[in-house]
Amino acid sequence: MSIFSKLTWTELKLFGREPFSVIFTFAFPLVVLLVLIGSFEPDDTAFGGARPSDYYLASYIGVVIGAVGLIVLPVHIAMYRERGILRRFRASAVPAWAVIGAQMAVGLVTAVVGSLVLIVAGRLLYDAALPELPFRVLGAFLLGTLTFLSVGFLLAVLARNARAAQAIGMLLFFPMWLLSGAGPPPEVMGSGMRTVSDLLPLTYVVRAIQDPWLGERSEPGQIVLLLALLVISAVIGLRLYRTA
Amino acid sequence: MAAVIDVKHLHKRYGDLVAVTDVSFQVDQGEIFGILGPNGAGKTTTVECIQGLREPTGGEIRLFGIDAIRDRNQLRRRIGSQLQESALPDRIKVWEVLDLFSSFQSGGADWRRLMEQWGLAEKANASFASLSGGQRQRLFVALALVNNPDVVFLDELTQGLDPSARRVAWDLIRGIRDRGTTVVLVTHYMDEAEHLCDRLIVVNRGEVIAEGTPQELIARSTRGIQVRFSTTEPDLSSLSELADVRHVERVGSHVEVEGSGAVLALVAASLVNHGIVPSDLRAIQPSLEEIYLDLIQTGPDARKEVA
Repeated sequence: MSIFSKLTWTELKLFGREPFSVIFTFAFPLVVLLVLIGSFEPDDTAFGGARPSDYYLASYIGVVIGAVGLIVLPVHIAMYRERGILRRFRASAVPAWAVIGAQMAVGLVTAVVGSLVLIVAGRLLYDAALPELPFRVLGAFLLGTLTFLSVGFLLAVLARNARAAQAIGMLLFFPMWLLSGAGPPPEVMGSGMRTVSDLLPLTYVVRAIQDPWLGERSEPGQIVLLLALLVISAVIGLRLYRTA
Repeated sequence: MAAVIDVKHLHKRYGDLVAVTDVSFQVDQGEIFGILGPNGAGKTTTVECIQGLREPTGGEIRLFGIDAIRDRNQLRRRIGSQLQESALPDRIKVWEVLDLFSSFQSGGADWRRLMEQWGLAEKANASFASLSGGQRQRLFVALALVNNPDVVFLDELTQGLDPSARRVAWDLIRGIRDRGTTVVLVTHYMDEAEHLCDRLIVVNRGEVIAEGTPQELIARSTRGIQVRFSTTEPDLSSLSELADVRHVERVGSHVEVEGSGAVLALVAASLVNHGIVPSDLRAIQPSLEEIYLDLIQTGPDARKEVA
């Protein structure tokens, strides 16, 4: 087995043994999604014509991406750096691309599994709709995941230690979770909240997934914005990682 | 044959801080080579430069005749590292670590055999977090050996171990050398160096202040050897005339002769010639620890601190 696949497989097993990661990736989005859908009548008009179950299912896939990228990944990588595990990999001549690649692969796989958990639960319990434009949803999902994984990587490189990474990650994650379209429905948000919402990158991930899910095309501006964030955080993160 | 490691005028600076001023030494094939010195002396920086984990500011490092700075990648497979202050993920299992690290290099050792050899087989399914200090160190050494290296670096391997676990670790380190692998041992425990090292250097404030075998360092010391015995014979003036004797002192029947070099043999011969045969004749050598402390304290910076 190649170094990359061996590392990825080991990291996946470690992910499964870490309650912190499992809770944030699988349990937290699922519980909140089910509570939220259950709180609204199916014909509630606050969702721009969509059913609350369909609207929230699409947004909570964005929440999974946010949790993996902003909390799980940075805490894990910062902990590896803090405890000298990255140094040990370097001393064993493991190429940096394999170390980073394995973390990204684990992030992607767990985000996919976390999203599937939501879709299955949403379908079984609330008969939530499947995506109208599945390929566009898949594209937006991949772009959003890669963008937030590279933001998380940058955060891990910048944080002084795992606790700092966790604090910063939570500080970024919670407002994004509540204001990106996964919290109160847009119709009840005040103008101030909407302005803040427009400034949060997770909002664009949620919209890019939600629009094609509900049958509309995503706005190209959102895609360009996410791509720009992906490239910027990846370039800075990799540069800092090398010199660290 | 070229030396396994040849370091010439190594210099390492972090910004304004000079970690290593000027360090040169050679390590020969199949020996346990010690690098000793107080905390912050530059030991770890030195070995990390040799292992290619840090870029030296100046100087030359060759391993097996290969430039360790320029051709670092050629050397990776031949180096085994047990890093200071480097942990593993808490929830990884012993067998998973060995399996993972053995996959990093082709043609490595059989990790299952290493697991047996290092007494970790019954802990194969235990998580790293549940291992004792001694078990962790054995795992780290096994990891350092997993790529079948020609030279292995052990940095503060026995730090934090209880005395019996340290003895076990010493046997294991001798075992590595006996299998033909050169060992570079970084330590600040003098008893460890005295028991294990074939040769050693003492580093202080980024410079080598002494080099040799433990016995050579002890013999070179100004502390001298004390020969003690007891006798009722009143006249011991012949002892003072012996070549290597510096000083003879007697309190009641207890006699203490201070000298150097072959003082014990000369004193013994002289006593026997004069018909004195004490049953408790013994020599007390200074320990490496005492000599080390002398070396460190007579360094230029120690004097500065006293002034």
